[in-house]
Amino acid sequence: MTPFLEIAGLSRHFGSFVAVRDVNLEIRKGEFMTFLGPSGSGKSTTLYALAGLDTPTSGNIRIEGKSILDVPPHRRNIGMVFQRYTLFPHLTVAENVGFPLSVRRRPAAEIAAKVGRMLELVRLQDFAQRKPGQLSGGQQQRVALARALVYEPPVLLMDEPLAALDKKLREEIQCEIRRIHRETGVTILYVTHDQEEALRLSDRIAVFSKGVIDQIGTGAELYENPATRFVAEFIGDSDFLPCDVLAVRDGLASIGLSGGLAVDGVPLHGNPAAGKAELMLRPERISLSRAMPASGPALPAVIGDLTFLGSHLQVAAATLDGRALSVRLPFGHEVVGSLARGDEVWLSFRPADACAFCSAQGGS
Amino acid sequence: MPQATALVGPSRGQRRTSLLLALPALSLLIVFFALPVLALLLRSVLEPAPGFSNYVTLLGSSTYSRILVNTFTVSAVVTVVTLLIGFPTAWALALMPPIWSRLVFGVLLLSMWTNLLTRTYAWMVLLQRTGVINRTLIDLGIIDQPLPLVNNLTGVTIGMTYIMLPFVILPLYGVIRRIDPAILQAAALCGATRAQAFRRVLLPLVMPGIAVGGLMVFVMSLGYFVTPALLGGTANMMLAELIAQFVQSLVNWGMGGAAALVLLSVTLSLYTLQLRLFGTSGLGGR
Ligand SMILES: Nc1ncnc2c1ncn2[C@@H]1O[C@H](COP(=O)(O)OP(=O)(O)OP(=O)(O)O)[C@@H](O)[C@H]1O
Ligand SMILES: [Mg+2]
Repeated sequence: MTPFLEIAGLSRHFGSFVAVRDVNLEIRKGEFMTFLGPSGSGKSTTLYALAGLDTPTSGNIRIEGKSILDVPPHRRNIGMVFQRYTLFPHLTVAENVGFPLSVRRRPAAEIAAKVGRMLELVRLQDFAQRKPGQLSGGQQQRVALARALVYEPPVLLMDEPLAALDKKLREEIQCEIRRIHRETGVTILYVTHDQEEALRLSDRIAVFSKGVIDQIGTGAELYENPATRFVAEFIGDSDFLPCDVLAVRDGLASIGLSGGLAVDGVPLHGNPAAGKAELMLRPERISLSRAMPASGPALPAVIGDLTFLGSHLQVAAATLDGRALSVRLPFGHEVVGSLARGDEVWLSFRPADACAFCSAQGGS
Repeated sequence: MPQATALVGPSRGQRRTSLLLALPALSLLIVFFALPVLALLLRSVLEPAPGFSNYVTLLGSSTYSRILVNTFTVSAVVTVVTLLIGFPTAWALALMPPIWSRLVFGVLLLSMWTNLLTRTYAWMVLLQRTGVINRTLIDLGIIDQPLPLVNNLTGVTIGMTYIMLPFVILPLYGVIRRIDPAILQAAALCGATRAQAFRRVLLPLVMPGIAVGGLMVFVMSLGYFVTPALLGGTANMMLAELIAQFVQSLVNWGMGGAAALVLLSVTLSLYTLQLRLFGTSGLGGR
């Protein structure tokens, strides 16, 4: 079956600088896909190519199997909410939202009805007659959202639409976006550099790093099984310890940590040729005990800081050779009450919960 | 925003300070502009006898009203043509790489700083019966007889259009540069064709610049003297030439004053209209 939206081998060069390199992506109809990545990683560039506002250097974009590269933006029927404010400053809020319908020459009554409904959706009914200059940033982005949705485009692109809003308003509009997505079945491509926002909204996330997609998957997949150190750092919290790769079998490595501890059965990513790697641990998957555990890998450590964070306790520990490790203990854990700064403890983990990334290529 | 300024308007103290600061300029204006204009006004209603006879003659006689019509027609045509040429030029300047636009601006400013007479004589050379333009057209076989391009209103229009062009290009360039290209991209994604985006988004946003540039050119054209005097014919005078003739050749200060005041009042009412419609925003202030 052909995917609804397909990006194939997309690249965009600016002179000798490569902003996007060989991006491949297949999106199902009605899917909520998020591009997550740090500033300058090529998210907007990819989105602009989809919108037709930028021509990719190579590659193709297809909707329902047909290439849209030759279709000019105004006939792509794609909605977009920009990173910057792009309302028409000389038109009122209502005229802005009605603009896509009026350029399509819809009857005035229909325009008025749909504009009213959209303004209700973004809760700006009372602002219909204002000019954009008289609105706050968040209100302007909500008008932009209404303008992008009013003509019911099958694909909606959103480039960090909520970046300028405060936390409460952002979460409110995130809920709206989810509801609108559920109700309309529109396919959404959403750009953000906020992992929480990505996890909250998306069906799947594509993690961008320096112009390439490091990994595509659901939030849980990215968290459980990050393909690169970059993804591991970007989704969830992580600890890293340098280690040596002793042997590899079926994607599982035997590694040696400083202090002579050897661990078998750690999932390994990357090319182990150089023999050096970094072990990734999730703070909430580390167990802490006073006595050395009877089985399984365990590291001796010293407690540094203790921070109580409501549902859990954040422990900053240091290994004997001075590597910082953060550990998260659920509140009510047996040792929580008696822990103190300077205590010597054992940190243990299951090899399957850990992950090793070879540091050879690219030095990342 | 007008409401905002009304709410936080300058306090009385601030107003007094700004009045004080404006005093030198204001007194200069009064001594060298307002007083002479007043004197002219008085002469126009007092000479040769008290009354409005000068105005009646000016507006009543067919010779003089022809000159008024000429003046307004030429000014209007010059305004429209400069806008038609100036808008795309300013648009192109705003889009082109900065190196190129700086070059074009250099040429533009250089031509503005070149002596007006020199530039006008240059047009005479180009436009005359045996000039470059006529000869080229004849050589190309487009025309048999040289076109009468000079010593008439055609010559005046061509010469003035050239001189006025920078006065529309500069304000339009300023306005266009301030428009975020993303707004036009948004219009395209909303489904607007290029024509719709131009008419419904770009044009309204550029309108203040068009108004300022157009008004400036129109008003300057109304009172322009050098170009009509050199490129125009004796049969088709313009208002400024008429005023000069009254004052210099005929030494008729009464008629000269009346003509000058007609010009001044038209100019002022146009300026007022523009302020009403577009405020001062197009003038670069906020
Ligand atoms: N017109 C351009 N000319 C040269 N380089 C460009 C151009 N547009 C983008 N770039 C570069 O391409 C890279 C990717 O830019 P892009 O806008 O896609 O980043 P982004 O992931 O959207 O970042 P952000 O989160 O900051 O918006 C950046 O390094 C940027 O400097
Ligand atoms: Mg961006």
